Formats: sequence, C-alpha cells, structure tokens
Amino acid sequence: MKKILIVDDQPNIRKLIHLALRDHFALEEAGDADSALERLMVARPDGLVLDVTMPGSIDGFQLCERIKRDPRLAEIHIVLVTACGQVSDQELGRALGADAYFIKPFSPLALARHLTTALLPATEDAAG
Amino acid sequence: MNTANDLPMPGELRTELTCCPWGIAAVGGDGNVCAINPAFTRFTGLVTADVLGMGEADFVARLDSSGIERQRVEATGDLRAIHYFREASVHTEHDQRMSGLAEALREPLASIYGFTELLLTQDYDDETRRDLTATLLDQTEVMSNIINEKLDTRKIEPAAPPQTSPR
Repeated sequence: MKKILIVDDQPNIRKLIHLALRDHFALEEAGDADSALERLMVARPDGLVLDVTMPGSIDGFQLCERIKRDPRLAEIHIVLVTACGQVSDQELGRALGADAYFIKPFSPLALARHLTTALLPATEDAAG
Repeated sequence: MNTANDLPMPGELRTELTCCPWGIAAVGGDGNVCAINPAFTRFTGLVTADVLGMGEADFVARLDSSGIERQRVEATGDLRAIHYFREASVHTEHDQRMSGLAEALREPLASIYGFTELLLTQDYDDETRRDLTATLLDQTEVMSNIINEKLDTRKIEPAAPPQTSPR
C-alpha cells in the first residue's frame, strides 16, 4: 500500500485528510515541518500532503524545497494544502517543486482523487 | 495651484483623474510637473505647491527617494507624461491585514467545508457522524471568534441566541 505523510499543525485538518485518504493509502501524520522531515527519512512516504504555515524552524515551502533538492527524497509527490491563497503563493509553491496546490477550503474528495490518480495504478478507483 | 481639474484634457478624463484612487502626476510639454490629483497628495503628503513646476527628473528623484514605486506613460497633446502609482505602504499594510485575516478564516472554513462534504457523501457510523457534526459546530465558533476579534471593530453587542418556537 502506498504511504502518505500528512503534515499540518491543525489536528482537525489532519483528521479531515485522514478520513478522505484512509481507504486508499497507509497514512502517517506530523504536526510541523521539523518532525515531518525526521519522519520522511524513516518512513519514506510516496506522497506528502503539506501545509505551509506551521510552527517550527521551517515552514512548508522550505520543507518542499529541501525535499525536491534531495535526490533521496525528490520523487515524493508533494501536494501543498494551505490557507496561503494568493497567486504569488501558488507560483512560489510551483517554483519550489510542489506537484499540486490546494487552497483551503478544499474538497477532500478532490484531494483523494488527485492522489489516487497520481500514485495508484489506473485500476484503483478514486475516493468518492 | 493646478489640480487635475486644470489639466488641458477632455472633461471626462479630467474627472476620472480627480476621482482616481491611484496617485497621478502630469508632466506638461515643457517637461515640468503641471498637475497632480487628490490621491497623489493623500498618499505622498505633497501638495501642488511642492511639485508644481518641478522638472521631471527632479520630481522622479523625489518620488524614488520616498520609495514610491511608480509607472510612467508617455502622453500626447499638451502633456509629455503621466506618472501613476499606488501608495506602497498604505496598501501593503491593508493588504497584509486582509490577507492574514483571510488565512485565519480559511483554516476553520476548510474543516467546515471538508467535513460537510464527507458527511454528505460517505457512509459513516452514528458515532463518527456525531463527532464530525460536533467538529462543524466547534469550527463555526472558531470562525465567529475570528470575526468578532479581528474584523468587527465596532464593538457591537453579541446577538441573542436564536429562540426556539414553543410547540
């Protein structure tokens, strides 16, 4: 089963994403980018659902950049799910290598469809 | 003192410049500033007497030293050029405040939107449905608090809770 790490400092958002993805993926969670970086090295997930604005020494943008610049991690499919909704934020996310950008509020079913399409064989159905 | 009303241009355009929220300064055919609009004064603190007759190069240097990002367009007829700008600090501060508020509201709204979508489309047991519904109520209260604390500065009295009709 493909593995996804959910990174968001809001427990409600982690719970929401967990509910939307639990039927399709093995899930892990982290509440900030620092602990996410530690988990990445151990868990080696296939995908990352990543918030941007979080407490800690680095934010989601910085974590995204580090992952995409690290050859060991660069293949991880990164979806930024963030309240940073300005066009400049989206452009920055794309420039840092994010594979998709969802602005809060977002459809958890659409997120599930995106990740199943990106990470699972075509025979598996998307959520919803 | 010249204002936008004194500019040698069609009345319709003159009215637009006077009412325009962007700071605008016109440079006449002689290369000197010949008029500014009210927004220019509002944003820069400079009145017509400060800049009227000033050469364009000196005028540009004065604006640039104030950190005002401006645009210049060539004009035709009696005018040589138009300089226009948004006052950076005023709008940036306001924009940042609004942007921060939008981000703060997006978090609970994401929960409300997302859990509602899941409740409408997924088959959950009763306990899960109650739990998610309680989360909706909780996040609505979070949104309400943000609005009360950050958006509504009029200190209005909170509305009374809705009354249920006796049956």
